[in-house]
This record gives sequence, C-alpha cells and structure tokens, in this order.
Amino acid sequence: MHEYTVVDELIGALVPRLCEHPGRVRAVVVRKGELRILSDHALVSAFEILARGTRLEGAELVVETVATVVSCAACGYRGSTGRLVEEGDHFSIPVLSCPRCGSEVRVDAGRELYVDHVTLSDDSPADG
Amino acid sequence: MHDVRFTGEDILARQLELAEANYRRLREKHVRAISVLGAIGSGKTTLVEQAIDRLQGRGLRVAAIAADSAGDDDHRRFIARGAKSVNVNTQDDCHLDAHRVDHALDELPLEDVDVLFIENVGNLICPADFPLGADAEVVVISVTEGDDMVRKHPKIFAQTDFVVVNKVDLAAAVGVDPKRIVGDYSAVNPHGKLFLTSLRRGEGLDELLNALGLGCTNTQW
Repeated sequence: MHEYTVVDELIGALVPRLCEHPGRVRAVVVRKGELRILSDHALVSAFEILARGTRLEGAELVVETVATVVSCAACGYRGSTGRLVEEGDHFSIPVLSCPRCGSEVRVDAGRELYVDHVTLSDDSPADG
Repeated sequence: MHDVRFTGEDILARQLELAEANYRRLREKHVRAISVLGAIGSGKTTLVEQAIDRLQGRGLRVAAIAADSAGDDDHRRFIARGAKSVNVNTQDDCHLDAHRVDHALDELPLEDVDVLFIENVGNLICPADFPLGADAEVVVISVTEGDDMVRKHPKIFAQTDFVVVNKVDLAAAVGVDPKRIVGDYSAVNPHGKLFLTSLRRGEGLDELLNALGLGCTNTQW
C-alpha cells in the first residue's frame, strides 16, 4: 500500500514543474529500478485515484523497468548480475554479487525511481 | 503532442534528503542508529529490549524510537528497561518515514545517546522503500511465519544485509527447518549475514551486535 505514498510524492513534485508547460497531460512516464519493492499495478491505480482534481487527472501513468547494473571493485566488472530464477515461484531476481569473481558489488542502476518525461497534447483541459 | 523531459531526480528525493539529514545529524552527535523492521510478531521489540539490556550493561546509553500504527505498548517496554524512548504512531501509514524520524529525534537528548534503535511498524514490505537515515538495517523474521519467508520476499532479502531468524527454539514445534531459510537467503544474498536467534532467551544476540559493530570489543566508532 505504500505505492500511494510514492504517488502522492510524485504528484506533489510534478504538478509545480509543469506550470510552464501548457497543454493537457496525456502520459507520465516513470522509470522504476527493478530492485524497488513497488507494484506497477498498485502505482497505476494509486495514480488514477490521487490525480483526480489535479492537472494530471486523466493522464496515463506508464511504468518502465530499469534493469540492475552492478560494478565490482575487486575485478573491475561492470554490467548485469546473475539471476536467481524460480519458475515454480514465478520470480527472477538479480543476485547482488559479482557474476565474474563472486565479490560484493556496488549497485549502479536498479534502485532508481524517477519521472523520465511527460507527454502533453496541445489542447487545454478546458477544451474537454 | 510533445514531451517534457526531466533530469532524473528521484520521486522520493524529498525522503532521501530527509534520510540523509537524519544520518548526518546522528553522526554529528556520535549516535549509532540501527533500524529494525520485519513482520508483525517476529520479535522486533524483544530484540530491542534485549539489546538495551546488553548494551546498557556495558555502560552505553541507549534510546529507541517505537513506531506502531497505534498505542504505546512498545514505547512503555523500552522505558521500563531504562532506555529513553519516543513513541510514534503512524496511524494508517504502513511504514515509518524519514520525516517522522526527524521529528522523533527532536524529542531525544542526542548528546546523551550512544545507540539508537528505530523500530518500524510491523510490516515486511512497505518500509523497504523508505530509508530513515540509520547506519544499518536489520530485518527480523521468525520460524513461526514458516520456512518460506525468504522465498516469498526474495527482493527484500536480496538487499538486506542483516537478517535475524528468531524463535528458532520453536522450530521443531512448528515443523520448520531453519536450514532451509539459511539456504534460501544465501542463494539470494551471498554476502548477507543471517543470525539464528531465540531472543526471549537472549540467544544469538551477541553475534548480531558484534556484526553491527556494537560488540563488547568494538564499541568505539
């Protein structure tokens, strides 16, 4: 349920930044690192509800996933991780360990959560 | 149609900034802060109680922030142990956030605190996305929740470096083999540290405190 808190922060931060951009907001495209514990479905439904009465009402929230990238100080590897795949349990998650030498790694991508862009059409919301 | 592009600032930037401010504030006052989170009834409060006893016994000054949806039961338990404590009711929120921690810190005499425990609301999932500004984060689960907790929440455990599996004294009674939990965790997080504990008996606590840098040989930081 914390998706509502996240979307509330998103709307609060985004609306003032769109002041200088007239037009109807059609889509808000968010990029979400795959390590985030956030349900896309819950984000979209929270957005639908919390955007009501704001400039973003009626816009579509699009959530794109960012794959994990790690770097290893021990061997210099940088790239994707190995994955733990359990078909029976329907998950495939990155294992935060160097796939080349097995050392601890730094996460360079996979934890972000940001608005990439907003698509506007040139009609105003008042045009219906 | 046209696009307005943004510079990639995190949606939760405000939360991250607040968490960093808490971290800096605690560092300046030389307070070591440990965030404790996990499922309802896993033993978070017992862990903090036992740690209070252990650390106070060594002359350290311990404080706690007790977060729950409602009530002040945990807060009273910490006070009864002689720790300074602040009660935080999150009401309908399923997690503590850095802003609430900031206010709670206002109520603590940080100059007189060596170690601070921040006990989150009982919830394994939601708090994971809200950093508070602590030095370390401990996730507490117990064998009574079943031996599949790691398998059910792999993404959380993949990113949690300190895991406590509590109530191992009850493992046989509830038909759980703790080794399975240990195996699942090392598969998903090869570098993490897992501790099997019976916190009511105080068992396993020293190993955890040592790993957190709070052992009797490493109280300087």
